[in-house]
Amino acid sequence: MNNEKKHRHPIRYDPDEKFEISILWKILLFLGPFMAGILLFTIYPFINAFLMSFKENYSILRDTFSGWGLGNYRKVLNDPIFVSGLKTTVKYVVIVVPISLALSIVIAVLLNNAKRFKAILQTAYFMPLVTSTAAISLVFRFIFANEGGLVNKIITTLGQSQINFLGTNKWSEIVLYIFGIWNILPFTIILLLAGLQNIDPQYYTAARADGAKTFDIFTNITVPLLSPTIALVAIVNSISAFKIFDYVFQLYNKPGPGYNLYTIIYYIYEKFGGTKPQYGYAAAASIVLFFIIAVFTLLQRVLQRKTDY
Amino acid sequence: MEVRIEDLVKRFGDVVAVNHVNATFESGKLIALLGPSGCGKSTMLNMLSGILPVSEGRIYFDDQDVTSLSPDKREVGLVFQNYALYPHMTVLQNICFPLKIKRIPKKERIERAKEYARMVHIDDYLDRLPKELSGGQQQRVAIARALVKEPKLLLLDEPLSNLDAKLRVEMREEIRRIQRESGVTTVFVTHDQEEATSISDYIMLMKLGVMQQFAATRNLYNDPANLFVADFIGNPTINQLHGIYEEGSIRADGFAKAIPIGNYKIEDGTRIVFASRPESVLVSKKSGETEMEVEETYISGKDTLCVLNAGDGFLRAYVDNEDAPEEKTAVRVSFRKKGVFVFSEESGERYYE
Repeated sequence: MNNEKKHRHPIRYDPDEKFEISILWKILLFLGPFMAGILLFTIYPFINAFLMSFKENYSILRDTFSGWGLGNYRKVLNDPIFVSGLKTTVKYVVIVVPISLALSIVIAVLLNNAKRFKAILQTAYFMPLVTSTAAISLVFRFIFANEGGLVNKIITTLGQSQINFLGTNKWSEIVLYIFGIWNILPFTIILLLAGLQNIDPQYYTAARADGAKTFDIFTNITVPLLSPTIALVAIVNSISAFKIFDYVFQLYNKPGPGYNLYTIIYYIYEKFGGTKPQYGYAAAASIVLFFIIAVFTLLQRVLQRKTDY
Repeated sequence: MEVRIEDLVKRFGDVVAVNHVNATFESGKLIALLGPSGCGKSTMLNMLSGILPVSEGRIYFDDQDVTSLSPDKREVGLVFQNYALYPHMTVLQNICFPLKIKRIPKKERIERAKEYARMVHIDDYLDRLPKELSGGQQQRVAIARALVKEPKLLLLDEPLSNLDAKLRVEMREEIRRIQRESGVTTVFVTHDQEEATSISDYIMLMKLGVMQQFAATRNLYNDPANLFVADFIGNPTINQLHGIYEEGSIRADGFAKAIPIGNYKIEDGTRIVFASRPESVLVSKKSGETEMEVEETYISGKDTLCVLNAGDGFLRAYVDNEDAPEEKTAVRVSFRKKGVFVFSEESGERYYE
């Protein structure tokens, strides 16, 4: 009995014994700072924003509102600026996520099969992830600049006329997509590489013995076996793409040269700040975005369960 | 299809994994590549399949030189040790896969896959995923997937090592049945001599890359080429007495009397190993050439295993339970002609009468 007590794990629950207070303190001490952070910066603002979205004519400084209702939502969903922001955001997600995913899969498979310089190449692809996007955006601005920009230099050398990449609606959108894809690649490639390294090489040997060529193996073996990772990456990338704001801001300091890259977060940002803030609209727009992202998160759960071999 | 191996060598750096092996595998037979781990048997199989390139020598399938052909061009069916079933495909899709790669129309593909699924008795599980199958069932699927291409040669790498003891016995008989039914020349790798002897027509026994003996299974037991073969094949293992040959007898180390073993072409004074199968050692209370003491007895089923003191070494022999001698008593021992061999102690080479 005595012996048993000595060896018992201190935190194990024993109904005959009172839960030791000192242990509770220890738990709180370890978890406390983290829980406080979550409560203060995630859960409280979320609840607050949720409530705020139903408060009509809310003023954050005076903390007054005229009543509860769905007015903010009605206003936001009927606001052409919000709708166009939503369209721009969805277009960004629909273009950037699949292209970056396809590129990443190809690059990851090539990297995984690389015979020489494997470590160097894998590190090289990891670099953008540890570089600040602000710095990368500066480099992008140089590359696509009008006078002396790398791309324009190449274009003019080839005898074509210079293109105003950063100043026109059409081209600024494309530069944003390239920037988005570029930024998303390293993280995606790293995850896919990890997924690829989990595939038993014996499947490739078996498939080769069955007569499968490289392309057959890629489509019939590699991609299906990688699909859990692909699903994860696609969803995570979609979620972060829905929150697109910083890339636009870093590239153009505004929502694109002609307000053409105005995204949902931009809408929230402007409604919350600016000269005539409308906090209720901002909150309602946030909740709409939250539900879009929630749907994707649920989708990820379903997809991952489906592809669990 | 007949398989002919000519002077086959495989080197990994300085290590010679397979050392100048010559053999011909008769068409339609079941051949076991047997040996302890590291003997080169799997390397041999991988060279037959084309997964590993050969360092030297040639491989012929009938009259065709396949040495430099890739696995798919050799038309071999492969069953891997852990089956390597594609985890995202159902049983049917797995079996269909080689045909899908060959761009065979879907209807014919499924028909043929079902035919082989029936042959390996897995046709009730066509829609299952590999993870929903037992080890034995996965094994069956792997064999069906290998056979559906109608290969000229079926290769199985340690096909039974991932199964539990009872299933292993069941599956080895299944492999025998399926091989008979399909008639395909089959080579399988194993380290278990019982597994090899129970189902194969021929056994190639290897040690450190060198082929020790390639013979019909029965001959390997009854007529071993050297001491290693005699020792490796047979359960319980063969008795071995070390000593000096002298005029038709062995002076076993530490044993006072000469034990008559018959006349061999050996110079007197040569150090030899006298090997005898336990069932070839005759133990009697009255008649027999040599007197030995019974050290221990164990009852095993209808027989009693007697351990006889022979100086530094010992002999194991089986006696009917009714005739079993008491421990620590003297008995008389003689040997049958069959199942008794003499080897050089130095080289392990066999001496003949």
